Amino acid sequence: MLGAIILKEWLKIRWVWGAALLVHLGMLVYLLLAMRHQFQVEHSEMIWYWAFELRRLLYTQIQYLPALTGAVIAAAQFGPEMLGGRFRLSLHLPVRGDLLVWCWVGFGALMGGLLALLDGAGLYWIISIWFPREAAESALLTALPWLLGGWVAYFGATLALLEPSRARRPVYAGLTLAFLALLDQGHGYQEYDRIMPQLTGLALLLLPAVILPAHRYRHRG
Amino acid sequence: MSAIHVDRITHRYGRRTLYRDLSFRVPEGRVVALLGKNGVGKTTLIRLLMGFLRPSGGSCRVLGEDSHDLSPATRARIGLLLEGHLTYDFMSIEQIERFHRPFYPGWRRELYYDLVDRLGLPYSHRIGNMSCGQRSQVVLGLIFAQNPELMILDDYSMGLDAGYRRLFLDYLQDYLNQGGKTVFVTSHVVQDMESLVDEVIFLQRGGELLQMDLADFRRDYRCYAFEREGTEPPRPDALIRSVDTHGGQPRLYAFAERDGVEKHLTEHWPGVTLGEELAMTLEDAFIGLTGKY
Repeated sequence: MLGAIILKEWLKIRWVWGAALLVHLGMLVYLLLAMRHQFQVEHSEMIWYWAFELRRLLYTQIQYLPALTGAVIAAAQFGPEMLGGRFRLSLHLPVRGDLLVWCWVGFGALMGGLLALLDGAGLYWIISIWFPREAAESALLTALPWLLGGWVAYFGATLALLEPSRARRPVYAGLTLAFLALLDQGHGYQEYDRIMPQLTGLALLLLPAVILPAHRYRHRG
Repeated sequence: MSAIHVDRITHRYGRRTLYRDLSFRVPEGRVVALLGKNGVGKTTLIRLLMGFLRPSGGSCRVLGEDSHDLSPATRARIGLLLEGHLTYDFMSIEQIERFHRPFYPGWRRELYYDLVDRLGLPYSHRIGNMSCGQRSQVVLGLIFAQNPELMILDDYSMGLDAGYRRLFLDYLQDYLNQGGKTVFVTSHVVQDMESLVDEVIFLQRGGELLQMDLADFRRDYRCYAFEREGTEPPRPDALIRSVDTHGGQPRLYAFAERDGVEKHLTEHWPGVTLGEELAMTLEDAFIGLTGKY
């Protein structure tokens, strides 16, 4: 049964995920070329001065990519379920509704997570070409809130899409945007280091929360 | 034992009460048709039965379980056709069968492919690119392949041509011949019900309900021509179920034999003369019971 559930989710998101993979790879290539260009037109000392004296971020090209991807994967997964009330087809399957929804979001989060892993690994590799290992590690820690934004956008969009009550949808969308804005307050290196565990814990609460709209969908009057 | 037991349910949409204290049973092993005009709440009733809506009052039990709390094992025993042959448009003919198969232990793959092969489409054909009728063949094929104990079919005939409707009825008959199968069906094509169903439930606006064996209904519900001499036509009352003065021949409908109707007219509508009893199809009888509009 798990295989069938995953098959359906894959069929829904395969084109979107494939396109997202190309966009992420494209952005990493762009980041690589932009960095190489900088080192060709500027002295290394100047770039060092920008990066570590002025604390200017050199890889903001990928900052909003995870959040955008998270929202798009959620739309590809749950848009077709909600169109014409197809969610009822899934709720009639002989599987517990909560397990079914967790399988869906588990798969979506995993596929988004693979892209986040690609972003993180690509960023680490690109930075380590021109900078020492400490700078590459710092780049990863700096990008963590952006990657967490992907999780938040995915689950926030999922909540808003699965929610049967029209009044609640903008509330979910507003809370998600507020959380994303909270993750977008930093403009330097590793500014979220001390608050990341708490923000991650808060973002993990979105995982059980997706059961609520599914429950309300079945039990509405 | 009832496959479906609806007990005094009340349901409201906002301020509008769709039903109040509606009760009926669908006995196991029977084919029961729910008939009613557009907007009486047939689809809403099926949503209530499958637990997609919670009634304001009363209870629905399906295969012995509360419709709002059906276990996965019980859901596996119910084949459900949602209105408009709802399905996953993004899947192909082959993918949708591969998706459903693992959920149902008694899956009969050959029945699905026997039905969809008649479409003459490649298995890679996407359901979203099919016509309404083609899509309905795929969905009905899935339900037959599931081989459930109880089928709940909401307007199965929508989009089906006459040939496929007949084929569907043949398949349904084979399914019923296995024994112990129950079907609860709604359809706008009333004439198909004549050869298919054991009982009919007529649902009218406001939730008035009449449940009868089809044979009893066909025997007892009568249609008579009448003529009137300058007087008002008779109106529905305790004996006269409905009156149709539109069209060429005025008719009245009643669950009564000729003598009883004649006596009733003499007493209450002396200007009205009863004519001959008219033969009716099931569709005529349905319209006679529920009205044309």
